[in-house]
Amino acid sequence: MTNAKLDSLRQTISEMLAKRGQSPEFSDEDSLFDSGRLDSASAVNILLELESAFGIDLGDPDFDISQIDSFAEITQLAQSQG
Amino acid sequence: MNCNVANRFANAASRYPDNMALAAGKTQLTYGKLRQLVQQVSAQVRPALRQGRVGVLGSRSIEACAAFLGIAWAGGTYVPLGLNHPDQRLIALLELLELDALIVDRAGFQRLSPELRRAAPPLILAPQDEPGTFAPLDAELPAADLELSKQPAEVGPDHLAYIIFTSGTTGMPKGVMVNSRSIGLYLDAIHPWYELRPQDRAAETCEANFDLSIHNMLTAWSAGAGLYIMRPLDMVAPARFIRANQITTWLSVPSIVALMRQAGGLTASSLTSLRLTWFCGEPLSVQAVRDWSEAAPNSIIENFYGPTEITVAVLRQRWDGEGPVTRERGIVAIGEPIQGVEAIIVDAAGQPVPDGIPGEIVLAAEQCSQGYFKLPDLTAEKFREFNGKPGYLTGDRGYRDHTGVFHHLGRLDNQIKYKGHRIELEEIDARLREAAEAELVGTVTWPMTGDVVGGLAAFYSSGTLEPEQVRARLRQLLPPYMVPELLENIADMPLSSNGKVDRKALVALLNGRDQARAAS
Repeated sequence: MTNAKLDSLRQTISEMLAKRGQSPEFSDEDSLFDSGRLDSASAVNILLELESAFGIDLGDPDFDISQIDSFAEITQLAQSQG
Repeated sequence: MNCNVANRFANAASRYPDNMALAAGKTQLTYGKLRQLVQQVSAQVRPALRQGRVGVLGSRSIEACAAFLGIAWAGGTYVPLGLNHPDQRLIALLELLELDALIVDRAGFQRLSPELRRAAPPLILAPQDEPGTFAPLDAELPAADLELSKQPAEVGPDHLAYIIFTSGTTGMPKGVMVNSRSIGLYLDAIHPWYELRPQDRAAETCEANFDLSIHNMLTAWSAGAGLYIMRPLDMVAPARFIRANQITTWLSVPSIVALMRQAGGLTASSLTSLRLTWFCGEPLSVQAVRDWSEAAPNSIIENFYGPTEITVAVLRQRWDGEGPVTRERGIVAIGEPIQGVEAIIVDAAGQPVPDGIPGEIVLAAEQCSQGYFKLPDLTAEKFREFNGKPGYLTGDRGYRDHTGVFHHLGRLDNQIKYKGHRIELEEIDARLREAAEAELVGTVTWPMTGDVVGGLAAFYSSGTLEPEQVRARLRQLLPPYMVPELLENIADMPLSSNGKVDRKALVALLNGRDQARAAS
């Protein structure tokens, strides 16, 4: 189940990259935000998807926003909630 | 006298070498360390300087900050280029600018396509593993003279400190040229009331190609204070950033307040570390300032007004808990001019009008910029002398009330503010004409919530092209925030009596459809 959700998130990110006029390809380790490839509006959408699909509590004071810079980090965060 | 803006940083670095100067994520640099990096950058670009312009393709990074100071230290002119501009636009800017060198941060490095590299100067400095260090991309260039200069290069008052690009009606951004004297006068004028201190922790909330970032960097580094860079992800949760870093001084566009309210990050007394807040760049709604003062009860709040052309900002209004308010718009007044600045309201003939009568806001000050890069006609049109001082016709409508407080009423033209960006609707029109291969085009702001722009909608009349094709082309021509969310091909473009596209009729069309939908 988680894998299907992660695949869907990967697809969302590809579409966001394309929408910003970039190649939709990215590796698990690529920096998505600090590299400037995606902007904060895209981050908000990714966070909303993390919240709805994986039940991640964004209001948690321990939640560190910088831990979603790469897909590998996002995966780790999503699985930690499983 | 040496007017180099880097002097302010150099003095603070001598006085407070062990203070924290700059932080981004887990990387923190002291003034001593940052000075060393800055001297290296300076030594790397200095041998390449001819006319002096050095571009920076980067933002929100240690590298972009080291580049800003390093260029100044070397006696160059800093030209930040937007990371969010598509290739074609960056190439056009590079061709216009004829840079001596280009410095890229990690994000900028990723943007270096073969086409961009062809348009770039031979010397490109790319980031190395150690934060804030660079090496020439082309190893065949002769090794730079790496003798470090202890002090910033000697420059006079007319030396261009920076060129910042802002939206232009012709379809290309226009570069505002600010000299060392102007930025120095600005910093001196605001110093008596902002008084940043070595223990302050300031936030960098802005992109490098927005002149508020120059305010953030130079006010912090004149005082020995720390500057905390908000990386793109930090912009999603600014309240968290303020709390985590115990930020004490904050300058941003008011749009961030709305974003924080949406994300639920603006609860009462949640930002107690703040002692000083400036808002600038957009109308500040009474609601936003009330929310902020509840969230940051220890902070004074200043509304700050001024276009890039007059050097950062020139009018200010402290919020007293109740006002003063510009009733017509439900926003905080823009207040009174800072030291050395005169604000005058003029009629269509350029003559001053009495208090209470609306007209165009003209700003006159020695800190006025030098005009637009390579655009002498536009410069002559917008920059004129008033009362013996260089002045700028803002295109903003406003009036002065009987207490001497200025109020902002809107624009005389089609310049808008959207998500903190200054945009000329004609610039989008010009690119849409190209993308849609259509003569008749019209861009409007829609929907609107009071004065706040909720989106962009554009229309074109073309027999062949579908909106999605046009959108794909526009993305190659404009930064993402300028690509309209709504694009439509319409057969009957509404025209006004003088034959121009009627923007008001387009807005009425959208509103009418909305009402019809709501009724059905």
